[in-house]
Amino acid sequence: MTETNSLVEELLTNYNIMDPGFVREPFAKYDVIRESKCPIAHTEQMGGSWLPTRYADVVAIAQEYEIFTSREILVVPPAPGRQEGPYSNVAAPPITSDPPDHQWHRRLVLPIFSPQSVAKYEPVTKALCNALIDEIIDKGTADAAGDYAQHIPVRVIATMLGVPLEMEEEFTSWVRGVLEQGMTDPEIRAKSSLKIIEYFVAQLADRRKNPRPGDFISDLTKAEVDGKPVPDSYILGVCNLMLVAGVDTTWSAIGSSMWHMAQHPEHRKQLRDNPDLWPTAIEELLRVYAPVTMARIVDRDIEFQGCPMKAGDRVLMAFPAANRDPRQFEHPDQVILDREHNRHVAFGSGIHRCAGSNLARLELRVAIQTWLERIPEFSLVNPDDVTWAGGQVRGPRRCMVRF
Amino acid sequence: MCAIAAPEIFGSDEIGNAVVLIEGDLPVELEAKARRAMGNCPERAIVITE
Repeated sequence: MTETNSLVEELLTNYNIMDPGFVREPFAKYDVIRESKCPIAHTEQMGGSWLPTRYADVVAIAQEYEIFTSREILVVPPAPGRQEGPYSNVAAPPITSDPPDHQWHRRLVLPIFSPQSVAKYEPVTKALCNALIDEIIDKGTADAAGDYAQHIPVRVIATMLGVPLEMEEEFTSWVRGVLEQGMTDPEIRAKSSLKIIEYFVAQLADRRKNPRPGDFISDLTKAEVDGKPVPDSYILGVCNLMLVAGVDTTWSAIGSSMWHMAQHPEHRKQLRDNPDLWPTAIEELLRVYAPVTMARIVDRDIEFQGCPMKAGDRVLMAFPAANRDPRQFEHPDQVILDREHNRHVAFGSGIHRCAGSNLARLELRVAIQTWLERIPEFSLVNPDDVTWAGGQVRGPRRCMVRF
Repeated sequence: MCAIAAPEIFGSDEIGNAVVLIEGDLPVELEAKARRAMGNCPERAIVITE
């Protein structure tokens, strides 16, 4: 009994979201915090933060942007002096923007992510998924994360950013170098970051000299705010954000969903028998396996739900925790592919709600649909061998399946 | 999501914001779809008035 109590105390006052146990299985821990006397946990670890776990609290924080600001959104502050590339603290508009600038920062990127616009990327996404499966289908075993999920979003974004076909593989390797290998290898990370920055700077210069109609970066060079062209720093920041926000988030959602499907033949069958279910099924997978947690910085000393928050405090909007709140979702830990009402917050809520959500949904649906079409029966080689990346974005790093 | 749950009722504009496609009262056969769209809007932007 004392042991259980001290474990609860530990979670409520001294959690560490980067702890391997937390990364491997966060949901039971969120449950403990959510049902405790203090559903907003606190810690001094990793620079200190608050961790709300109730749906109502997380949504309230997301909506209250004047108090919970976006000057920093990383759940763990980067090491001092690390300023380059994705996951540094350089500006990545609009995710790091507050009103009033936030409004135009967001408005200029919305058109490329409208449902009509992202629909254009379905054929290239499907072709990519099929090509990836062609590589593995005769092998009888593959890494659903490393051989499949992790290649998809970066290629789609590369297409959006106008990266030429012959450069896609190299571009993909830089991005994975930062977001995947770079997590543990600082040299690869630094080299890859530099390549990415140099590449975008060169692309921007090229588009100014040789504009291409209908090209994302070209369109941004033509955009104006208050009668003046948008600054280069904005355009480079947006390119940076497309990689930070659009790649490991989506590959994590795909990877987690593949991990789920490998273990649930009844769900694979349900989708085969009821293809109309796909949109609802995607929302349910997003709810249960929401990959992203976003941070906010408290603007002034306030008391929020009894918690004394100080100006400068970091608050972690744990969307995955909010999505499992029984106050909002019946049977919250169950994947119910035809769940009728699903106001999940995998994409956040409020003025910063994910601008890329339509693209994410498309990639997730096409990735799982294509795999199930080509490889309808598959299972995990060994559930205990699945490794997880965690922290800001949670998803399987390695997920061996057999078929 | 609303445009997927109830495409007869909701479309989207060029920046992805939902637009209501129907003028006047909602036909009764679309009521279930409207409720479904309402129950799936994370911004609670959909309100049904009797």
